[in-house]
Amino acid sequence: MALLDETAKIISNTCVGPRLWVVTLKAPQIAGAVLPAQFVHMRIPGMDDHILRRPFSIYAADAAAGTVDILYQVVGFGSDHLTTLQPGATCQMIGPVGTPWSVPEGARKVLIVGGGVGAAPVFMLTQQAKAAGLDVSVVLGAATKDALVTLDRYTQLLGTEPAVSTDDGTYGRPGFATSLVQEALHGACEAGQPFQYVAVCGPQPLMKIVAGVAADAGVYCQVSMERRMACGVGACLSCVVDTVNGKKRACVDGPVFDAQEVCW
Amino acid sequence: MASVDMSVNLGGLAMKNPVTVASGTFAAGREYSQFVDVHNLGAVTTKGVSLNGWTGNDSPRIAETPSGMLNSIGLQNPGVQHLIEGDIAWLATQDVPVIVNVSGHSDDEYIQVIEALEACPTVSAYEINISCPNVDAGGMTLGTHAPSVERVITRCRNATKRPMIVKLTPNVTDVTEIAKAAEASGADALSLINTLLGMAVDAQTRRPQLARVVGGLSGPAVKPVALRMVWQCYQAVKVPLLGMGGIVSGIDAAEFMLAGATAVAVGTANFMNPHATEDVIDGLQRYCEQQGVTDVKDLIGGLVC
Repeated sequence: MALLDETAKIISNTCVGPRLWVVTLKAPQIAGAVLPAQFVHMRIPGMDDHILRRPFSIYAADAAAGTVDILYQVVGFGSDHLTTLQPGATCQMIGPVGTPWSVPEGARKVLIVGGGVGAAPVFMLTQQAKAAGLDVSVVLGAATKDALVTLDRYTQLLGTEPAVSTDDGTYGRPGFATSLVQEALHGACEAGQPFQYVAVCGPQPLMKIVAGVAADAGVYCQVSMERRMACGVGACLSCVVDTVNGKKRACVDGPVFDAQEVCW
Repeated sequence: MASVDMSVNLGGLAMKNPVTVASGTFAAGREYSQFVDVHNLGAVTTKGVSLNGWTGNDSPRIAETPSGMLNSIGLQNPGVQHLIEGDIAWLATQDVPVIVNVSGHSDDEYIQVIEALEACPTVSAYEINISCPNVDAGGMTLGTHAPSVERVITRCRNATKRPMIVKLTPNVTDVTEIAKAAEASGADALSLINTLLGMAVDAQTRRPQLARVVGGLSGPAVKPVALRMVWQCYQAVKVPLLGMGGIVSGIDAAEFMLAGATAVAVGTANFMNPHATEDVIDGLQRYCEQQGVTDVKDLIGGLVC
C-alpha cells in the first residue's frame, strides 16, 4: 500500500511515567490504515535545525475517532522537544511505514513480549490476536513499577494481568523478562500445548535472548528492529539490519523480521 | 500566470527544468513516486552503482548534526546488472532523463560499469563519482588528486559518447584545480559538492556516532560551502555545473544558479520533505515569475558582485 502523507494535529500529550509520554494525534487516514508494528515517520515542528524526521511506532489506533496514540520515551533532543508540544500543534507524518507482524496461518496460541517502550508496538498485535480468538499470552518487562505504563491497557484487553517483570523488583518478577518467556514456552511445551508464534519488541539484547529461547523451543519468532533512519521510505539505506540474506532496510523490509533471519 | 522557459542543457543533457536529485538520496525514484511524479523532474540521478554490488558500511550509518546530517552508507548497491533489470527498467516507464551515478573501486571498474550501461537506451547521462568519502578505494581518494582524476576521467571519456558529469569532492584545498583536470579530461559537466568529511561524538558513551567514525556532512549546514565552490568553479571552467548542497527551496536553487550552476540537485531535503523536488521546481518557477525572468537560463552566473 502506498504511504500516506498526513498533517496530524495533537489532541493530547501527557507524561505517563518516568521519561515516558503518550501523544494522541488526529490522523484519520493513517489511523484507518495502520497495521500492528507499522510506524509513522514524523517531522516534529519547531526544531528546524534538527532536520531529520523521527520514526514512532503506533501504540493504538482508533479508526472511528481518526486518532493514533504514540508511546514515546524521552531519549534525545527530538523526543524531549516533542514533550513541549501542546494540543493543536501539527506534525507532518508519513505512514503507515513497514511490514506488520505476521502470525502464521493456523497458529492458535501466541506469546507476545514487550520490553520497555517495546510494549507499544505489540499492543495492536495483541488486540488483533484477541479479536481473532487466539490463545494470547503476554509478557511485559520494564525497568521499574512506574515504567509499566502499558499494563492497564493490556490487563483490560486480556481480562487478566499479563506476566510482568521489573529490573529492580518493584513489581512482578524481579529481573529481566527473559525468565518469564522461558517459563511460558517450556510450560506450554510440557503441558502439551506449545505456542506456535512469539512476537517480541524491546531492547536488542532482550530480543536476541527471546529469539534464542524460542528457537530452542522450536517456536517461530518475529522481532521488531529499531535503527536510526533518514528517509523512512526505503530509499537511503541508513537503517539497514544485518540478516542472513544480506543487509535489509528496517523501514520497509522491516521493522518486523524473522528472528532466525537476523544476524545478532 | 507568466510563462517561464524552465529548460536547461547540462553538457548535452536536455532537461525540462534544472532540478534533479543528489545521488543516494532518492534511490532511483520508485520509493518517492508515492509522493512526487518523477516525470516532473529535470532528471533522475540514481544511487551510485558498482560492477558487482557492495554491502556498504556497518551501522550506525547516520547521525543528525546541527542543520545537517552525517552519512556513511558506503555505496551499498546491488550491482549494475541488477540496477538495469530493476530500477532502470522502471525508470524507462517514467519518461524522464536518467543520470546514472557510476562508482568503482578501481579505474577498470568505472569503465566496466559504463560498458554495462552503454547498451541501455534508458540511460541519458553518467555522473562519475570520484568523490564519495565513505569508501576506502575509488571515491574520494581519486577525486582529491588531479593526475588520478585525469587518468580515470580520460578513460571514462573514451568509453562513452553520452553526456558525462564528474562529481567533485569539497574535501580539497582548491576545488578549481580538480575541476580543471576533469574538464581537460573530457567532462561535459561537473557536479558539486559531494559531502564534506566530518564526524560526530557521543560524549556520554565516548564513542563516535558513526560505526565508521567519519562520514559525509550534508544538508542546509553545507550550503554556504557549496555555493562558494560553485561560484569558484564557474569562474574557472567553461563546462556547465550541477550545483548541490543543502537545497531545500526554490530560492536555494536560484541562489545556486546565480552563483553559476546550470542545474541543481535536491539531496538531504528529500528526507526532510518527500515532496522537496517538486517544491523546489515550483518555487524556482515562482521566483522567476516574481523576478520577471522569462528564461531560467538567464539566472546562470547572474550574481552581481
